[in-house]
Amino acid sequence: MAIETLVLGAGQEVGKSCVVVNINGKRIMFDCGMHMGVSDHRRYPNFSLISPTGDFDTALSCIIITHLYCINTLFLRFHYFLIIKISHSLILYSYIFFFGIICDSHLDHLGALVYFTEVCGFHGPIYMTVLIYSTVRWVEPNKHCHLNSICTINIPKQGNHHVHSIHSHQLSKTIRIIACIFLYPTKALAPLMLEDYRKVLVERRGEEEQFNSDHIAECMKKVIAVDLRQTIQVDKDLQIRAYYAGHFTLFEYLTLILKVLGAAMFHAKVGDSEMVYTGDYNMTPDRHLGAAQIDRLRLDLLITESTYGTTIRDSKYAREREFLDAVHKCVSAGGKVLIPTFGLGRAQELCILMDDYWERMNLKVPIYFSAGLTKQANVYYKMLINWTSQKIKDSYPTNNAFDFKNVCKYERSVLDTPGPCVLFASPGMISGGLSLEVFKRWAPFENTLVALPGYCLPGTVGHVLMSKPPKIELDPNTKIDVRCQVHQLAFSPHTDSKGIMDLIKFLSPKHVILVHGEKPKMVSLKEKIHSEMGIPCYHPANNETVSVPSTVYVKAQASDAFMERCLKPNFKLHKCSSQELSIKTLTDKNIVPELQVINEKAVFIVEDKSKKLKVVHNDEVLVMLGEKKTED
Amino acid sequence: MGVLSAIQPFELHHHHTASTTSPLKGDYYQYLAKFKCGDERKEAADQSMKTYQNNTPESIRLISMQTFTSMMNEILNPSTPKSTVSSIFKTLIHSLLHSPESHHSQILKLITDLSSHHPSLAQLALDSLQSMLPQLTDPPSQLTIEYLDALVNISERPVEVDDSLFTSICLAASFPVRLWMVRNSGCRVMVRPKLLYPVLMGMTKEPYPCVREESLEALVRLGECAVFEEVSLVKGCYERGVQLLSDNEDCVRISAVRVVALWGLMLASFNVDMKTYWSNEVFAMLCSVVRDMNMKVRVEVFNGLGKMEIVSKELLMQSLSKRVLVLDQSPTEQFVLLASNVAGALVHGVEDEFFEVRKSVCQSLRALTVLSVEFAHAALNLLMDVLNDYKVEVRFQALETMHHMAINHCLELQENYMHKFLDVLEDNSSEVRFSARKIVRLMKLRNHLLFKSTMDVLLKNLDSYPQDEADIFSVLSHLGRNHKQFVDLIANEIADEVTASFEGNREFNSARMAALLVLSISAPFLNADVGPIPPVIFSFAATFLSRICCAFSDVMNRDTLLEYLIQKSSSMVQPEVNISNGEGQNPLAKDDVQNVAGNEMIHSEITINNGEGQLPLSKYNVQNVALEMKPPNDVGQHKQPVHDSVVLTYINYILVKLPNIWPKVQSYSANEVLCSLRHWKEELTSLTFDSSAPADASAFALLYLKIIKLVVEVWDHLVRKTEVVSGTVELEDKLEKLDRRAKELMNRFVGFSAEEEISVLELILLTYTLRLCRAEICSRNFIFKRMTIIYLRTESFLKLRSDVASGFVAELGNLIRESSNGGASCSSLAFDNCLKLFSPKRLMIPEGIRHRRAELSIPNNCPDYPLPFAPGLTASIPCDITIHNISSNCRAWVRMCINDGFTQHVYLDLQSFEVSGEVRKISYAVPYYRTPEVDSFNLKVCIGLESLFENVTPVQAHGGPKCELVLLCEEKIVYLSRVL
Repeated sequence: MAIETLVLGAGQEVGKSCVVVNINGKRIMFDCGMHMGVSDHRRYPNFSLISPTGDFDTALSCIIITHLYCINTLFLRFHYFLIIKISHSLILYSYIFFFGIICDSHLDHLGALVYFTEVCGFHGPIYMTVLIYSTVRWVEPNKHCHLNSICTINIPKQGNHHVHSIHSHQLSKTIRIIACIFLYPTKALAPLMLEDYRKVLVERRGEEEQFNSDHIAECMKKVIAVDLRQTIQVDKDLQIRAYYAGHFTLFEYLTLILKVLGAAMFHAKVGDSEMVYTGDYNMTPDRHLGAAQIDRLRLDLLITESTYGTTIRDSKYAREREFLDAVHKCVSAGGKVLIPTFGLGRAQELCILMDDYWERMNLKVPIYFSAGLTKQANVYYKMLINWTSQKIKDSYPTNNAFDFKNVCKYERSVLDTPGPCVLFASPGMISGGLSLEVFKRWAPFENTLVALPGYCLPGTVGHVLMSKPPKIELDPNTKIDVRCQVHQLAFSPHTDSKGIMDLIKFLSPKHVILVHGEKPKMVSLKEKIHSEMGIPCYHPANNETVSVPSTVYVKAQASDAFMERCLKPNFKLHKCSSQELSIKTLTDKNIVPELQVINEKAVFIVEDKSKKLKVVHNDEVLVMLGEKKTED
Repeated sequence: MGVLSAIQPFELHHHHTASTTSPLKGDYYQYLAKFKCGDERKEAADQSMKTYQNNTPESIRLISMQTFTSMMNEILNPSTPKSTVSSIFKTLIHSLLHSPESHHSQILKLITDLSSHHPSLAQLALDSLQSMLPQLTDPPSQLTIEYLDALVNISERPVEVDDSLFTSICLAASFPVRLWMVRNSGCRVMVRPKLLYPVLMGMTKEPYPCVREESLEALVRLGECAVFEEVSLVKGCYERGVQLLSDNEDCVRISAVRVVALWGLMLASFNVDMKTYWSNEVFAMLCSVVRDMNMKVRVEVFNGLGKMEIVSKELLMQSLSKRVLVLDQSPTEQFVLLASNVAGALVHGVEDEFFEVRKSVCQSLRALTVLSVEFAHAALNLLMDVLNDYKVEVRFQALETMHHMAINHCLELQENYMHKFLDVLEDNSSEVRFSARKIVRLMKLRNHLLFKSTMDVLLKNLDSYPQDEADIFSVLSHLGRNHKQFVDLIANEIADEVTASFEGNREFNSARMAALLVLSISAPFLNADVGPIPPVIFSFAATFLSRICCAFSDVMNRDTLLEYLIQKSSSMVQPEVNISNGEGQNPLAKDDVQNVAGNEMIHSEITINNGEGQLPLSKYNVQNVALEMKPPNDVGQHKQPVHDSVVLTYINYILVKLPNIWPKVQSYSANEVLCSLRHWKEELTSLTFDSSAPADASAFALLYLKIIKLVVEVWDHLVRKTEVVSGTVELEDKLEKLDRRAKELMNRFVGFSAEEEISVLELILLTYTLRLCRAEICSRNFIFKRMTIIYLRTESFLKLRSDVASGFVAELGNLIRESSNGGASCSSLAFDNCLKLFSPKRLMIPEGIRHRRAELSIPNNCPDYPLPFAPGLTASIPCDITIHNISSNCRAWVRMCINDGFTQHVYLDLQSFEVSGEVRKISYAVPYYRTPEVDSFNLKVCIGLESLFENVTPVQAHGGPKCELVLLCEEKIVYLSRVL
């Protein structure tokens, strides 16, 4: 028997994750993403390869989505746009200003789901790891809608649903949320994203509509939630289990949207064959996120991402130390520190880091946190305690790791207060809002430090700042003298090649398939895996099939004697005879043990007349042979 | 009981025919035993035991659970008679042979308990169990294990099991039986290593994970105690461990890591030539599992790494880098093979999510950094990162590792690390700070700037963590000793700062001053060259003696330190210091002149190196000086001349300081002054004396200081006129106290020289003036009268010495002369003006000063053992009285007060005392006449001296003292109770 892996997406490329694995007769689709970079039919995986007839229900057992989402609250301070920041890259969708800038990796993993289920017609089960489940309907502000709808947000609080009602006059006239029920996140955000995406494609680009809002709702009904380390018996033979992948972030943009994104590794077992599909994962723990955790399994196949297949990251500690030193130096010289961040996620991590440091060093310089989301972060991490690092788990029962002792609430007066301070201001790339305002004020001073945590998109002030120009031109009328110091901190939630190797080494699967990476990197990683661990490794391109042999256990009957022997240790002791001992010299006597272990492995498999296999012990073989002889 | 005896015949009769009665009868007696007591109970218990013993095998089956319980009670009860216990024991052994197997575990449990409570029976139990064992071994079953378990529990030493039994149990079909054997082999069950080893090796292949785990653990135990001479055995075990490193079960992997670490090291130590090779192999093998998903495995790995004895440098360096290193020279074959396994192992450990792992890494680095200097430098980089850890435990371990490195001379803190390291000194966990300071003690700093910043951080530390003061001083003293050249550079700065503060421009007692002094006096510690440190620094340091002496506790004790300071300060007379401070400002000026002769010797031969801190040579020198200084009239001083002269000098120091602080009092900074006064007082009270002379001097100084302190307090109230209502009572109280103390000063000391007496009198005049500023009209005249007497006395003294009165005394004299009618006419304002003129005179301790004091003890009296009395009759109170320095023309009294205020005085005839020198002793039964009509009462007894000094207010007591009494000792309470 063999495990056949058909790579429909993310083969030798990044994006559009979609792998169909045929394992012992069960076909599982892992992820169902779409490619964000192309707009033609190549955007979706070529589903016809699964079943030329389009009968997906029989062709596929289930779909597993490794990435998950959760949505907390929709803040409607700015009505006109919605930006979603997701792990790799930045903006999913900006309603008015940035139409068309859609590059989201998580759509990599589930973008094509609705298309596949509703348009192509798959009716089987869909599994997602789930944190919180909510259904959100995003209503397009169009002429067909009435403006006086009422917005209701339900937040589960220990089983009770709190209902906040907000009247429509508090809302914008263009966007209304009808319901946001908090339970399961994946389902929460997925339709939202999909719906947005659909609109962008259809309405702005004038493309043919491939699915509509009803389709999304229908699709979401099919989704079944999976908890971490929960084993799910899909059917008689197929069993799946999700493991924590350490890839998990909280994001917020302009206090507009706050959500949790995370990923899981999935273990699938059919009969005797076992495999793991990783999705994105991270092997290095963080201050607020733990490293991926998985059991040692007997795997036939491991399908792993390889985004950073050739990178090896240095210790994060060194970067943190540099960062802290830079900040400490700045504040002790009386300077101000500006850290442009998103309100959550990376900011939380930096906050933990600095709060610890302040505490240890007894620093009294105030730290301000502009985005008033600390409270919400607490709510989050409380709900998601399983997804956080050991540090947060440790401190959780006594005091919340996010109840920062040294972090104060930001007030506007802070900006003009003399003396040192540290300010976390959003947005992250100094593209506008408070961080730009603060930047304008503080940048001309030499003792100011701007610490940029993370990547900055081209076109933002943050990006320009990295090249340390003497002047930044915001618009023809506004020029800022930049005399401040700039410190850059790089973090990434993806694992590096060392992490991939470590995972493979720990799991020691029989075969490895690399997906979700660039071809040259995959090739070099493949060589490395092959040479260092001697594990056969493959990196199929899209629409290629790789077939690897799988473990198959043959069923055989075991004799009673054999069973009995199995329960005992399978060795016996051979005692050296006294004659043997006497020959040996005295020194030898001390060395050679009187008893020697003789392995008793003799097991015979015999095929009887009815062509059934039978396992017997060697003691029995003679007896059986004797019987045969007499029969003959 | 009556009921019991009544039913007995009936019961026995009722049952005696049936064959099954015996156990029931036994139960019955057991039942009886519960109700009876004493001998009867014992009898009943014995009876019941006998009945049990006589039972037939069939009937024993009927021993009920209840019987077991009652036996248990008997065993646990310490008062159970021995005979009962032994009969229970016999019954138990007997029933083991005859009862069904289902009962055996119960019975064995009882036997075990019995043996532990009655050790005398333990050997017997062991023997009988051992004799039963062979019957049970074929085939070994759960029961065999229960027997063995009982054996092991009873025996204090490990039980030896013969080979065939051991192998048959290990090969037994039942898995719990095997598990028990493996778990206990090598610790509680002794098996020959030669037999144990192959069996355990076989067991590591068991299908049951827990047996695999236990067999690996047993191999660890075996490896720890047994010695193997055959390489192949050790290698075999090591390789088995390596195989099991990839076991599917976490618990097995944990044990496998331990086996690999232990047996791998054994393997390496077999052959000296191959040692590095095998050590490298083991190191790489452990590193390869460093990314295990189980936290405990990772902890175990680092524990194992911490035991490495030798690892090649390349591999060590590789463990610090996640990338495979490119070496300068062509790498060895082994390195190429192992590099990828080892890569970044320690870095991963440091980055670990679990603090247990991070802690373990830091500990393992302790052993590893010793192996290579280059590695130690690189690992330091990692450790510096760990100092940022959020867990105190981890930071602490990292620092301990650095300390360990420092001890092994492989710690080199570069400048860029220093910055980070100094941050740690300010950590908010005291544990971490102490650990960091331990490292500072050992540090050799490269340049002056680093030294300065370290010093600054430590001084800053003093402000933020005052509780660490002692430790910080000690660190500073080490720092100074290690970096004399840098201290010399900043010596002048320090001297300026310290001198300035001592002259009253800044606070006197700040920890900062003490710290600076510690630093500067420690610099010339180990070498005689004082360098640019001015001697005055040493004399300043002496005032902080008790505060700073702990900083030098590793090399000298307090007294030697004082000696050292005094020698250093006097060893070089710097004229400019004397001039700048003015004549008499330097307290040692007088000594210096006298010391000149001995100077050279002291200076050149001072050696301070032994822990006891004795200075044999200098002692001799100082002794000479002391002999010159003091007239040899005091016996006590001959015994301990060095010490006493030192103490006297020291006391003089403090007294000399007093005039310096007066300007501060006038400038209303009383708090600061009080603070330093309190400090001096503490210094004084902490002094120890070997003879009476310095004790007297110190008592005088103490009292003097107390008076000054009160004066300052009162002054603050009066002169600033800021009293609030609540302060008024307090002020009155203080004035009273001042008055009392002033009288004490006059009466309790003798042997003033004229000059000193004037100073003292002046002080007393001051106290009266203060009172007059304040006093009500009614008491005014009286105080004024007293003041006049003192004034006249002062004046006569002045005339005698033809001295000019100070401004204060002169003004006061005018005031007294002007007021004809007893001072009532003088306004407070006039006295105020006088006060402004006052400034304290410099006072040296008078050489011949004697403290008049008394010791009173009432033997055998305490609240529990009161003295007897009969109401109305005279009670006698036995007193042991010792009085010091009181001449026989004084009038001494015993004063006895009862609670209702009635006071009785008894005259002490000083002639009747037993005289030895200035000390007089007597045992005297003091009569008390007015015993009240109560069951018991308390007397307050004390000894007083009639004050002849100012005879203003004759006390009109009948037969009592004519003048006021000055108390010479604390009041003692005497307990009396009525004779029944």
